[in-house]
Amino acid sequence: MTRKKVTLAYIANDAARKATFKKRRKGLMKKVSELSTLCGIEACAIVYSPYQAEPEVWPSTLGARRAIARFKNMSEMDQSKRMVNQQGFIRQRIVKAEEQLKRQLRENREKEICQVMYRALVGEPLQGLTLVDLNDLGWMLEKTGKEIEERIKKLKNMVPGSEQAAPAEPKVDKGSEEENGEAAPKNNAALNDVVAVEAMQNQPWYMEFLKPRNESNTMNLSKNEPRPSYPYGNPPPPWSNFFFP
Amino acid sequence: MGKKPSLGRQKIVIARIPKKNHLQVTFSKRRSGRFKKASELCTLSGVDVGIIVFSLASKVFSFGHPEVELIIDRFLARHNLPPLDTSAHHQLFEAHRSVNLRELNMILTQVLDELEVERKHGERLDVMRKASQRQCWWEAPVDELGLCELEQLRTSMEEMKMNVEKLTSKLMATLLLQMVCHFQGLILD
Repeated sequence: MTRKKVTLAYIANDAARKATFKKRRKGLMKKVSELSTLCGIEACAIVYSPYQAEPEVWPSTLGARRAIARFKNMSEMDQSKRMVNQQGFIRQRIVKAEEQLKRQLRENREKEICQVMYRALVGEPLQGLTLVDLNDLGWMLEKTGKEIEERIKKLKNMVPGSEQAAPAEPKVDKGSEEENGEAAPKNNAALNDVVAVEAMQNQPWYMEFLKPRNESNTMNLSKNEPRPSYPYGNPPPPWSNFFFP
Repeated sequence: MGKKPSLGRQKIVIARIPKKNHLQVTFSKRRSGRFKKASELCTLSGVDVGIIVFSLASKVFSFGHPEVELIIDRFLARHNLPPLDTSAHHQLFEAHRSVNLRELNMILTQVLDELEVERKHGERLDVMRKASQRQCWWEAPVDELGLCELEQLRTSMEEMKMNVEKLTSKLMATLLLQMVCHFQGLILD
């Protein structure tokens, strides 16, 4: 049986509607029965039909009456707490779907920004990005930076005293790593030396902006000049997480 | 965050589920599924339906169209005839309700369609990422990188952070300047 997408609307065609009705009613009864057996619970289903006077009932007329009696014996509040009609139910479905949509959009955005970050690492220019993009990019850099930091700490703890410890199972073999090493982070010419990070200065990011602009616009990788490297987590990052509330 | 792929459709033995947690989860999902199917039946065929389900903790869940209580009354009365109120007021009420339901279903369909689009987009992004991971070692998940690689990566990322900061400052400054000019313009007018 092919799975066709069904439009959630009343079927105008009489024959099609009748066929669908019969098929779905049967399916519903069967599934209610399964639910009851699998979970060992009591249930009943009543389906009225425009084609016959008597409704179709599961498990049986008697069984349904029993379930209804049990239902009516409960307090009004217990009865209505989880009672729902079409309107209420469809609204619930809409709310749930909207939440899933929001989550999916956020996930997709994160993936996209990640891509931007990796492309920028190999030299693709940052020009053309909007402030929102830059903000998100900063957030992603922050987040990944923290992960890297943690992982580095972990690895260093595992092999105490040796900072030059052999990397644990890099996926890529050494040959291609060297090759890619050149292609990688183009904007860091000092990469060959694998310099340890300079002492972090607790400078807020905007201080650079307020300083007199005497440095050139090009990348200054001289080790003499203390770089205002961004301290992780302290002070609080300028990129507020406004896109990901 | 990667989602663990669900096991998908598996054949289930139709017998009481032994494990308690499993049972609770199954109950929740299937009950919800039944209501969904009942709701679709009502929408597609325009019939009246009622379902009552008791949980193991003796809580009761019910779904009914038009209302659970109406279905119960009708069933117990054994007349099996739909309420014969053909007054204009009643008909108007019914008309209102169907329009309302139609609109709700349309909104639901729209949201579900959007969701599907975004899901497919997400899958495409995943495929692209996997493909580029094969060629670029630095795109691999952090957990798979070695110490040297991590330190390299960290340095490059800090470079980029500085560039991003610079560019952000520049853009913000431009924006502020534009705003100031705009307001000055307004005042001078």
